[in-house]
Amino acid sequence: MSAVTSPVFAVRDLWKVFGPKADRIPGSPEADLSAEELRQRTGCTVAVRDVSFDVRKGEVFVVMGLSGSGKSTLVRCLTRLIEPTSGEIAIDGEDVRGMDAGRLRELRRHRAAMVFQHFGLLPHRTVLDNVAYGLEIQGTGKAQRRAKAAEMVEKVGLAGLEGRRPGQLSGGQQQRVGLARALAVDPEVLLFDEPFSALDPLIRRDMQEEVVRLHREEGRTMVFITHDLSEALRLGDRIALMRGGRIVQCGTPEEIVGAPADEYVRDFVRDVPREQVLTVRRAMRPAVGGEAETGPALSPGTLCSDAIEAVARTGGPVRVVEGGRCLGVVDHQALLSVVAGVSVASGPAAEKAVA
Amino acid sequence: MSSVSTAVRPFGGSLRELVARRRGLAKLVLLAVVAAVVVPLVNSRWGSGSWPAALTVDPSGSLGKASNWIIDNRDSSPVFLYFFGYVSYGVGYAVRGVYLVLLALGWTGVTAAATLLAWRFARLRVALTALVSLAACGALGMWVPTVQTLALMVVAVVASVAVGAVLGLAAGLSERMFRVLRPVLDTMQVLPAFAYLLPFVWIFGIGVPPAVLATVVYAAPPMARLTALGLRGADSGVLEAVTSLGATARQRLFTARLPLARGQLLLGVNQTIMMALSMAVIASVIGAGGLGDRVYQALSTVDVGNALAAGVPIVLLAVVLDRTTAAAGERVGAGGGAGVGSGGGASAGGSGGASGSGSGEGASGGASGSGSGGGASGRASGRASGGGGSAGGLRVWRVFGRGWVVWGALAGLVAGCAVLGRAFDSASWPGSWTVSIAAPVNSVVNWITGHLNSGVPVIGGTADWAAGFTTWVLDPVRDGLQGLPWWSVLLVVGALAWLIGTWRTALTAVLAMAAIGVLGVWSVSLDTLSQVLAALAVTLVVGVGVGIAAARSRRFEALLRPVLDVFQTMPQFVYLIPVVALFGAGRAAGAAAAVAYAVPAVVRITTQGLREVDPAAMEAARSLGATGGQQVRQVQLPLARPALLLAVNQAVVLVLAVVVIAGMIGGGALGYNVVFGLAQGDLATGLIGGTAIVCLGLMLDRVTQPVGKGR
Repeated sequence: MSAVTSPVFAVRDLWKVFGPKADRIPGSPEADLSAEELRQRTGCTVAVRDVSFDVRKGEVFVVMGLSGSGKSTLVRCLTRLIEPTSGEIAIDGEDVRGMDAGRLRELRRHRAAMVFQHFGLLPHRTVLDNVAYGLEIQGTGKAQRRAKAAEMVEKVGLAGLEGRRPGQLSGGQQQRVGLARALAVDPEVLLFDEPFSALDPLIRRDMQEEVVRLHREEGRTMVFITHDLSEALRLGDRIALMRGGRIVQCGTPEEIVGAPADEYVRDFVRDVPREQVLTVRRAMRPAVGGEAETGPALSPGTLCSDAIEAVARTGGPVRVVEGGRCLGVVDHQALLSVVAGVSVASGPAAEKAVA
Repeated sequence: MSSVSTAVRPFGGSLRELVARRRGLAKLVLLAVVAAVVVPLVNSRWGSGSWPAALTVDPSGSLGKASNWIIDNRDSSPVFLYFFGYVSYGVGYAVRGVYLVLLALGWTGVTAAATLLAWRFARLRVALTALVSLAACGALGMWVPTVQTLALMVVAVVASVAVGAVLGLAAGLSERMFRVLRPVLDTMQVLPAFAYLLPFVWIFGIGVPPAVLATVVYAAPPMARLTALGLRGADSGVLEAVTSLGATARQRLFTARLPLARGQLLLGVNQTIMMALSMAVIASVIGAGGLGDRVYQALSTVDVGNALAAGVPIVLLAVVLDRTTAAAGERVGAGGGAGVGSGGGASAGGSGGASGSGSGEGASGGASGSGSGGGASGRASGRASGGGGSAGGLRVWRVFGRGWVVWGALAGLVAGCAVLGRAFDSASWPGSWTVSIAAPVNSVVNWITGHLNSGVPVIGGTADWAAGFTTWVLDPVRDGLQGLPWWSVLLVVGALAWLIGTWRTALTAVLAMAAIGVLGVWSVSLDTLSQVLAALAVTLVVGVGVGIAAARSRRFEALLRPVLDVFQTMPQFVYLIPVVALFGAGRAAGAAAAVAYAVPAVVRITTQGLREVDPAAMEAARSLGATGGQQVRQVQLPLARPALLLAVNQAVVLVLAVVVIAGMIGGGALGYNVVFGLAQGDLATGLIGGTAIVCLGLMLDRVTQPVGKGR
């Protein structure tokens, strides 16, 4: 997959340290101190610590972590809303940290648009003018930007509310305006900073579906920051889990849930209904004897929850078939151990999937 | 002085733990130790009693020389010819020009203009108020002075807003500028208006230009302050979002920061206008002319009737200006949604003094007071701009109307009215339409003097009260203060300021007080201080009492609100008129005016502080069966402590402002020094008096300034 397209964002060894003489911290022995000790000794706080990752074209890349883990700082570093302390950021191969003010504005105007947790709408403007704002500061003509904005307002389902002001809208509607504003400039990447954290659970659900729909329709690359694990699992093609400024694990939802990198991640994903995230590829065992020849077949991408139904119906093991070849079988025991969270003896096929 | 500050440091280190635990006590102990060491030394060196002559510097000689030099060289020195001269001419011509334009418009044109502007910016009711008020100005025979005051106001307000906006922009955008300007602006806002007059007279002589300039200097700070605060207070989330979309710094300023601060900016304009009016009236003392001059002339001959005839137009002007600008602010606040709601209740902003409370008051005053009105106009504007097309056009005109067409139509109407007035040959208010209230008012005053002043059974009379207050309160306090050893006054000032604030505020307060001594006006200043303290005590008793009552009874508060609104919009000067009628000239009358001027602010802050007490705490107290009195004493008052301290601070500032002005009605003390200096051309005396007033103001503000005012 990575061979097909070059990454949209390539981040290498990124550090962000707040405090006096912050540039001395990255790579120094002080950096390994605990946060408390570091603050006492140098007055600095490390928000992002030696982070590297790629965001691939067309994917939804979720950065997840609890508050204070540095995820919001990280996403702001991408367009230098917060100036990184050290490291490299490239967008489509172009060095972001080396950009001058004009080039950086270009990046913000055309290539990466952001949606904020607290919306950041201009209270004195109407919905339409808020959505058109990004185009306005680019210098687009009034008629043109209004037409474009109207289209975006329609797209996010706010048709009819163009003349309202943000103060007259509900939280969910305001965030739709924020989303439309970001979409209006037709950016290459959409950056979301905990966009739905301030919303009621039901509205949040709606908005998540909206994002899924948009992604399905347009295939736009998205970087999505959240502290909500279920949101991350629902939206993310890949998830980077942050803790204390560091990425502790980066992988597909299945990898995060199925093969937690350490105790912290394991703790984090403990309550996830595993059968709804893991696929049979991870649950299957090698076929023994004639098992590879008979019985119903499932594709390796089938969720375990669906496989449970199939296994329960047939009463025996079910084959996992890809391209006519049998990769293995799943049975009661394998599926139950997925649900129970007991480690499954993963076969060679599973390992291949991780790689 | 230096011995005190150096002695503090070594003790401060060793007592740190104790200080941390029992702050107040530790400070007192520390001061006691310092006093025990320093006082005997000081006492043996300079003795007790009044400020020692050895420590005085008499600057009047050199000041006199300097003012003589200025008078001699005003027409020849290049500084005057090429700078002050031009400033003076420019201001003079501007005022003259506006005055001529207003005269040319005639009473019909001016009245039409005021009414239409009020209607445009506010609602129909305000427009009617404007119409009736201006007609009343004419009917009282005060049309020409009103126009003179208006002309001066127009120039002063335009200049103040421009200067304030520029300073505010600088302070809003530059952190360093903010740090430099803020203490200066804060301090300027607590100084009495009277103290501003002298330096301008010194340089420009008596006349309209110094009056305008003093007004600008007095009225610009709130604009600068609110502009800076508005720009700095802009929602950082919004600014970040704007940046994230690639806005340039200029775009960020014009599309986000300034619009976000609109409510604050309009509140600034409102406060600037109110302060400018207040000052423009007081500046009559230095030749501003207009309504203030009429009041001043009338008061100097204790002609209450004529003073009232000029005073009523001042109040009406104040009310119209305040309501119009406040309504404009409200509309912006409502249009901007909840985000900029702070612009809402500009009407509640105190016209008198520090906007520290002004803006705070304004916010919730508007929220509760005129919420329905603001909401309605907000909805209307939302709808109007939503249409955007031709259908909403009419409404856009009416409510939003940025269009030139509207302005053109208004200008046309005004011109039409002006021409109509000319056609009937009545550019000035027709003499036959005037009603002279001077004679009837004076007969009422005479009746009061004859019947109420004394000898009223049981309750005595107003003059008796005044005499009693002077004999039993003012005199003992003054004699007590003047009898205290000078160093003990400094110690008490320092101790109070340090207990309430920080050692910084204490140091400023003590230094300010010492400066008064050095200037050689120690005992006169203590006289002023005694009046302030006496009036302050009455103000607090009355204000807090009424405030508690208003906080407990919604109905009482509703009755009180319009009264407070009017009281808070009236310029300080106007308060002198009724007290002279009631109490005659003298210190008691000055104290009464000060009380009347300061009580509304105290009532308002107290009520608000009590109302904002955590409802959960109140509920808990009620659930435990606390009586009403217990709730007030044990829950509301302790929890509202910050508000009460703010009320004291405000009261001190406001009382001082009026006590000083009362120098014009026989209040004596520092205010009289200033008046005397002006009247006799003895600028040295006046300037020293003015400086002492500044020092006294600084001292009083610092002593009562709670830590972390913005908490």
